[in-house]
Amino acid sequence: MALLHGYGPALLQGLASTLSVAALSLAVACVFGLAGAVAKLSASRTARAVAATYSTLIRGLPDLVLMLLIFYGGQILLNDLGAARGWDYIDVPPFAAGVLTIGFIFGAYLTETFRGAILAVPRGQAEAAQAFGMTRAQVLRRIVLPQMVRHAIPGFANNWLVMVKATALVSLIGLDDMVHRANLAAAATREPFTFYVAVALLYLAVTTVSIAALGWLERRFSLGVRRVEF
Amino acid sequence: MNPRTALTRRLLLAGAATLLATGRPALAQSKPSLLRVGVEGNYPPFSKMGPDGKLSGFDIDIALALCEAMNVRCQLVQQEWDGMMPALRARKFDMIVASMTITDERRKAADFSDPYYDVPSRFVARAGAFRDASPEALKGRRIIVLRNTPRAQYLQQRYPGSELLQVNKETDVYLELAAGRGDIAFGSTVVSGEAFLKTPQGKGYAQVGPTVRLEGGTGVGVAVRKGETELVGRINAALKKIKADGTYKRLADRYFDFDISGN
Repeated sequence: MALLHGYGPALLQGLASTLSVAALSLAVACVFGLAGAVAKLSASRTARAVAATYSTLIRGLPDLVLMLLIFYGGQILLNDLGAARGWDYIDVPPFAAGVLTIGFIFGAYLTETFRGAILAVPRGQAEAAQAFGMTRAQVLRRIVLPQMVRHAIPGFANNWLVMVKATALVSLIGLDDMVHRANLAAAATREPFTFYVAVALLYLAVTTVSIAALGWLERRFSLGVRRVEF
Repeated sequence: MNPRTALTRRLLLAGAATLLATGRPALAQSKPSLLRVGVEGNYPPFSKMGPDGKLSGFDIDIALALCEAMNVRCQLVQQEWDGMMPALRARKFDMIVASMTITDERRKAADFSDPYYDVPSRFVARAGAFRDASPEALKGRRIIVLRNTPRAQYLQQRYPGSELLQVNKETDVYLELAAGRGDIAFGSTVVSGEAFLKTPQGKGYAQVGPTVRLEGGTGVGVAVRKGETELVGRINAALKKIKADGTYKRLADRYFDFDISGN
């Protein structure tokens, strides 16, 4: 810690905010992803069109551009709306803007991950459930979703790892994440190398733990499946 | 025009303004009791963040002194340099005290107070590597400079035969120089002195050529949203007050051993 000139606790605070942004973004992304996947596989033409637009558009735009558009553009829009309606200034906090933007972006990637996983569940399963008289929602909740998790985990793990690192983008809109703290500490002490290595190690720790946890989860959801049958 | 289309028009305008950063008249606003001040934290000795997360530096001290002289409560908002202007326009804060040089280009996007300091620029390179800093001596060499600054513009105009390496932070200018990615650096004399030449890393490096005052830049000022003339007036009055009562000199003496006021 002496190596970090007393900036150790500050970096750890940054880690806490990186992790909370990542965890909340993941929750948002899962909601968007599941909704997107279900919409893409639905019989409704409108739902399919909306989901296709969403995943095409978002996967095609750089994360940074989207982030800046939502954070600054959204704020100016809100200010103007407020001025027209006589509201006071409403602040879009960087935390909420960051979580929503990252969640929204990675929801588009998860849409495809989840869609693939749902397709991997044999169609006969859903048909059998329907034959037993379950409603569509019940089929989804009881039969399809529990079985698709196993297929979704590898792609999901990929997305999560990329997302943890993508949270570094929020430092640009003023959120006090790990990278932001490291930047400031590097400027103050003029030892950029020290702080960027420290941050790299922290990211590595987070991703290593994630990989272990996701491996356990994958084994857990594959209990009913023998390894040899692909 | 009925109110509804007026609103739609505003929304469209807002969208366009975000993308194009064009000028737009400021909205009428009553005198705020709390002023939010945008500051940086990457520019020692003007602003930096300590281990405890506290901001300090000349910009910070000036911001607080101005608020006290204006007799308003202030809240400092730390913001990365790249998002400074957009955040001002989006009302994330009401004024910027972040060593922002007043330029014609920036005057299109914001209004500025009188300058609160003015620091000349100078070249820095390995001692003895350059005989002088003329465009001929630097021909074909790579100059490191902070992007989006009057200094970068000055180099583009005066040193067409040199290659520019533009970086994102003033302190990075000297990191790049020490890393050997450029031949010579051009930056604020204060930063090159405090943040580089006086540190172990800066050993063997020296200033090259005379100090340069850029004609495009007219000192460093406080930026506010376009059209907020009343606030500019209050800031200028506060600046006069702290210069007259000795506060300014007391603060400047903490950081600099020369006159930084530019008077």
